[in-house]
Amino acid sequence: MPSAVRPDTAVVVSRRSGVIKFTNCLLVKGTDLVYEDLWISSVTGKILNGQEILYGHLTAPDEIIDLGGRILSPGLIDVQLNGAYGFDFSVIPEDGTMTYGKGVQQVNWNLVRGGVTSYLPTLTSQRPEVYHKALPYLGPSGSARDPALGSESLGAHCEGPFMSPMKNGIHNVDVLQTPHDGLSSLSACYGPSNLTPHAPSPIKLITLAPELPGALPAIQSLASMGIVASIGHSDATYEEAKTAVQAGATSITHLFNAMKPLHHRNPGIFGLLGTASSSISKPYFGIIADGIHIHPTTIKIAYNAHPEGLVLVTDAMRLAGMPDGVYDWTNGSRIVKKGALLTLEENGKIAGSSIELVDCVTNFLNWTGASVAEALKAVTETPARMLGLEGVKGLLREGADADLVVLDVLEGAVGEEKKVVVDQVWKFGVKVHDREDGREGERV
Amino acid sequence: MRLIIRDDPQTASAYIAEYIIERIKTFNPTAARPFVLGLPTGSSPVLIYQHLVQRHKAGEISFRNVVTFNMDEYVGIPREHPESYHSFMYKHFFSHVDVRPENINILNGNAPDLEAECQAYEEKIANAGGIELFLGGIGPDGHIAFNEPGSSLKSRTRVKTLAYDTILANSRFFGHNMDQVPRMALTVGVQTVLEAREVVIIITGAHKALALQKCIEEGVNHMWTLSSLQLHPHPLIVIDEDATMELKVKTVRYFKSIEKVANDQGFRQMLPRIKKRDSVHEDDDSLSAPAPQCNGLSLSVPSRDISRSASPALEPMSARISDEEANVLPAVDLNSDLQFAPMSARVAV
Repeated sequence: MPSAVRPDTAVVVSRRSGVIKFTNCLLVKGTDLVYEDLWISSVTGKILNGQEILYGHLTAPDEIIDLGGRILSPGLIDVQLNGAYGFDFSVIPEDGTMTYGKGVQQVNWNLVRGGVTSYLPTLTSQRPEVYHKALPYLGPSGSARDPALGSESLGAHCEGPFMSPMKNGIHNVDVLQTPHDGLSSLSACYGPSNLTPHAPSPIKLITLAPELPGALPAIQSLASMGIVASIGHSDATYEEAKTAVQAGATSITHLFNAMKPLHHRNPGIFGLLGTASSSISKPYFGIIADGIHIHPTTIKIAYNAHPEGLVLVTDAMRLAGMPDGVYDWTNGSRIVKKGALLTLEENGKIAGSSIELVDCVTNFLNWTGASVAEALKAVTETPARMLGLEGVKGLLREGADADLVVLDVLEGAVGEEKKVVVDQVWKFGVKVHDREDGREGERV
Repeated sequence: MRLIIRDDPQTASAYIAEYIIERIKTFNPTAARPFVLGLPTGSSPVLIYQHLVQRHKAGEISFRNVVTFNMDEYVGIPREHPESYHSFMYKHFFSHVDVRPENINILNGNAPDLEAECQAYEEKIANAGGIELFLGGIGPDGHIAFNEPGSSLKSRTRVKTLAYDTILANSRFFGHNMDQVPRMALTVGVQTVLEAREVVIIITGAHKALALQKCIEEGVNHMWTLSSLQLHPHPLIVIDEDATMELKVKTVRYFKSIEKVANDQGFRQMLPRIKKRDSVHEDDDSLSAPAPQCNGLSLSVPSRDISRSASPALEPMSARISDEEANVLPAVDLNSDLQFAPMSARVAV
């Protein structure tokens, strides 16, 4: 009997195509969870159009992965991470930058296990020489598309030193600067090789106070270079903040923290979220949902004011991911870590965050009543859009990078609350972490 | 003609899905000798696909050695368009099962030479050994595939211009923009369907009841192209109760009784024993009549004649009344006008 199988079949079937199909899973698409399959290529590390693969390339998946009804989300993106797993991006080790590079790599390996597939390594306000040494190690690291490198830097986040001395937070007041000469001041501080017009920069985002002299022209220059200017550590009024947005600022760094609180006659920076003006678009805004920095209700108010702009960040420092205990801090102080709460031993003041991003998602879910997809959007699609990486990161769309997390939502973990758990992490189309494998490892 | 009536679209679709699964399993296809399955799109078959996918995911049926041919496709819309039949089939079936991509055949509505595409499609079907089972649905006007009213019952795969009503009806899928709706389609012909060894049709919903009635109770007519199925040696139509709305009660009862008797006798609505191709297993006992019991007692042959013609016996009502009974009845003089007493006559004075 004549066969309906085409002559070239054998070739197609025998060649490993590297195509993987996830099935029986809920895809995060917009603000919905959609029961659909997802096709990726482990060769190109990108998301495929399954229909095109089937009809156009006559290719069946090499591997079909049944996720048992779990959620498949784009990999999480943290745009503000000061350090983790004992490493601080802002501290250059005494034995030189070699060790620093290794430390960054360690963080990348550890970070990806928590579902954070890309992030902005963040430098707090430092003296210029720290930027000169550190920034070359913190630039975008995804060009090799190597899953073995772990989490990927999308570029550095420079939080300061061009910030208001009134709103320095825990940043050292002595190193703060004023951008008198606009971009030139910034270049001088971060290093000319790290910030020059028309040249690729390791910096992706700069937090600065727009009310400082020279800040507005600097914001304009940054916007033209494709670097996100974010308002933060600022004493700006609503009007000043609005001018900054008009100059090209598109984001607010950890909303509510290190800025004027909302006053009904002077709404301050927070007022940007309520603006009815057609002259500016509402900026994106970072939220630290650790239950310590901001009251849950305040988060809900901000979310309701501008749901498309909310970006969950950890603002975690080097103790994130470390076991509970007492750790040495600078100047002989010591920090007590208890869960996500960090306090100075001597006075009990909040000393930064050590929460993991996925736990921010859990908190956000439980506090705001947002859907799982809406909460995940705040750590995937929204930060990707804020960074101008829409279509590359943060979306399950054809052509985007296959950075994925498989999530389980445990219902009623505590009372009525839900808990989001990272089961698997995929980077550039390759599985780099599986919680079940990890458990087995621990038993041995 | 076998007509199976089920309570609702779910059970009707499940019946067909199970039927197809059984057919494939009985056929026991291999890569060299695949099962060739004709497939439709549209709202009616969605539940069938769901059921097939469910059974596949449960590991109960593989489509590894199944070759598929789809009925039709629009002309001039991209393959990726959400309303294309490529997209439909991907979404509802192919993305969920293990049909080999190279075994999927769908007409290409963007082929440079549409005529040649249609001709090549017929040849592909022939090369695959013909279609073993063609699954289909119908439109409210009784059309099968895009063979709308007036299509030749001898037609083969070809380019068809869509009826204005169809374009109008389809505009709901294209943002109610008439300009977006394709004007032409490629479709297998009526004859292409009829040449399948077996044709299985799903019809559900009251809006298709009239079409069903025309195709079952009336003659072969090109205005109701599905009626051509009456000329097929082995068609199966599965419907839900809603679709029976326009059928005569006796038609419905007749087909239900046929199914019941067949079940009682231990053979369901199976293929007759025709060794047309190698597609039928010669040693398949399930296809033969029940074996006679040779225990010396009277044989339990079917008490009813189940081999009689498919049409219900038509006899005048009066034939059922015996002469004696007829004599007892009061005579009615049909020639004289009936005398009506006025209403007031019933009121006691």
